[in-house]
Amino acid sequence: RMEASCLELALEGERLCKAGDCRAGVSFFEAAVQVGTEDLKTLSAIYSQLGNAYFYLHEYAKALEYHHHDLTLARTIGDLLGEAKASGNLGNTLKVLGNFEEAIVCCQRHLDISRELNDKVGEARALYNLGNVYHSKGKNVASAGTHDPGELPDDVKNALQKAANYYEENLSIVTELGDRAAQGRAFGNLGNTHYLLGNFRSAVLAHEQRLLIAKEFGDRSAERRAYSNLGNAYVFLGEFETASEYYKRTLQLARQLKDRAVEAQACYSLGNTYTLLQDYEKAIDYHLKHLVIAQELNDKIGEGRACWSLGNAYTALGNHDQAMHFAERHLEISREVGDRSGELTARLNLSDLQMVLGLSYSTNNSMMAESHVVDNSLNGTRPRVGRRHSMENMELMKLTPEKVHNWN
Amino acid sequence: SQPLAGRQAAELQSKVVPSKQILHSDNMEMEPETMETKSVTDYFSKLHMGSLVYSCTSKRKSK
Repeated sequence: RMEASCLELALEGERLCKAGDCRAGVSFFEAAVQVGTEDLKTLSAIYSQLGNAYFYLHEYAKALEYHHHDLTLARTIGDLLGEAKASGNLGNTLKVLGNFEEAIVCCQRHLDISRELNDKVGEARALYNLGNVYHSKGKNVASAGTHDPGELPDDVKNALQKAANYYEENLSIVTELGDRAAQGRAFGNLGNTHYLLGNFRSAVLAHEQRLLIAKEFGDRSAERRAYSNLGNAYVFLGEFETASEYYKRTLQLARQLKDRAVEAQACYSLGNTYTLLQDYEKAIDYHLKHLVIAQELNDKIGEGRACWSLGNAYTALGNHDQAMHFAERHLEISREVGDRSGELTARLNLSDLQMVLGLSYSTNNSMMAESHVVDNSLNGTRPRVGRRHSMENMELMKLTPEKVHNWN
Repeated sequence: SQPLAGRQAAELQSKVVPSKQILHSDNMEMEPETMETKSVTDYFSKLHMGSLVYSCTSKRKSK
């Protein structure tokens, strides 16, 4: 019996990837490369698909390798359209790997060639990719500090503004082309860019468009994303009731889609929103739901967050025993996952609670002693200052000043 | 004025309760990336529409 040809193996790889089994697809493509072919355009298509398969499998170093091979090959054989595609894929991969400057060069090359070939579809796709790279670049720099949406250093603001411009440019082309799916994607990411820039009203407008298109397509995952993003924007607009309604829709869809992680996130957002509404009973209800799923998924970080939030909500209700229970659990988990700032926060919460319950709370004497050691390590700063500092390290969300009076 | 314990409890409530600050997790939901696709079948069918004979079976590798 004759050995399978390169083409046969590649065709089977394509079929498997299309069916959603990228792992099996990869083995066939790699076998095809092993067999080899003199047809460089076929080889280019194999490299490209290998790169995409590895991208979907989150193996980005491999994805980079194969998209790079594809780019080299496309240039060698003078295939301009092939070069544009390989550049775009390489750009997306470099973006995920955090190499934003090279990603911009690659995506720009995709854009330039598409314009040269008068390829409108390619041009629009390159603009979307460029928007994504600038968005990631901005978000990456912003998350290194402790900024809120809307309070950004200039370089972050510049990157995000560029992202918004590319998404707008993309939108004008895909609207002209009547490509609704592409419009949906651009609106979603444009909304998130406005959110980070602190343009919360614009964010809402974009996410409402995204929601409309998701419903047109019956795309429930996209619909759920839009609800969640709308909830986030309304929190920053200080409209907590509206935010809670959107988070409830998110929760509903997460349950329908049987996505436990997303369900947990929705419960957590609802817990926080009800805390802002000072409805601590409902907040506790949702934080407990979040806690159960976090335990089920063995998500220690999520479990720690749930305990921290529950401790705060029980304290607000004056239920100090429960508050103490969750503060202790938060301390245990912070130690377990090696979260130093979480550990410090938990200790300070505990010492505050112990003060209220009376210093004779004998079972926890050892914890009090330990917390003094921690306080001393802060170079003589007072515990209260120490706590605030540690909370900032835990990605605290401060609300914008003009909204503070609303619930003070 | 308030008794000490009551005042401490009120103070604790205002300090620990995240009235202005809540623990935030970055849960912004992004849209998926779009990758450019190439296919050996596209090329194959284009070849068949023309008069070329496909020669993928000629192998470089000979062990």
